[in-house]
Amino acid sequence: MIALDIALTLNAGTVLFFILAAAAVISAILVVEHKSLTYSAVFLAILGMANATLFVLLGFTFIAIFFISVYIGAAVTFILFSVTMFEEAPKVETPVRIVALVSVILVAALLAIGFSLNIGSEIPFTSPSYMELANLLTQKYGLALIIASLTLITTLIEAITIARKEETK
Amino acid sequence: MNIIVLFLTLSAILFAIGIYGLISKRTMLRMLLAAEINFNAAVLALVALASQSTSPATGEVVAVIATGIAAADVGIMVSIAMLMYRMKRRSDVYELEESKG
Repeated sequence: MIALDIALTLNAGTVLFFILAAAAVISAILVVEHKSLTYSAVFLAILGMANATLFVLLGFTFIAIFFISVYIGAAVTFILFSVTMFEEAPKVETPVRIVALVSVILVAALLAIGFSLNIGSEIPFTSPSYMELANLLTQKYGLALIIASLTLITTLIEAITIARKEETK
Repeated sequence: MNIIVLFLTLSAILFAIGIYGLISKRTMLRMLLAAEINFNAAVLALVALASQSTSPATGEVVAVIATGIAAADVGIMVSIAMLMYRMKRRSDVYELEESKG
């Protein structure tokens, strides 16, 4: 059992949680409310990144890696590229560039401070071993894994078939 | 107070935002993005609860499979939206009523 019964004192882990929670909520609101679909897809990627970092905070490093590589790297990027086909890419105005630059500097500074505090050592967690995970995936949940793989393959074929369908006149 | 409660509260807030997006928007892609917020909230709740269970690896397996399936459903939804946009030149879901069958 992962021990996370830490008191809600303002230690570095809790502060990091609140920062990530704020980032997640603001990103989620912007995904729904932003005028441009392209930016909405970008904010969805930011939401996914915040979520993955929260997984690491809980001790689930493997899910975080999988989430970033499969979900953000494939699914959200796919949405982003598809969205740019629907509408023109929005112009990036100078004030937005300045805001982006300031944001990048702030995030870099925040991460530098966070890493220097060595946050990971403050939250006691024991991540499940990769061997146990592999055993579960191949033995107990082998059928589920096969079904998921077949779903992915059929989805790929279905997506290509639908996307290439000719216009009905 | 357990920190897991905070994770579950965050998950509930994200889920509420996703539901709001699903209800209030009528563009297909915007609704897809809102549904993805719901998925993020669900996985967060799953992982938070799995961290408290006696076998966290089981929760990890379920989260991995759920993420794979979510990637698949994104592919299908975007393909349908793309086809609809090519046929109708708009992606309003109310237009789908005319495409029954």
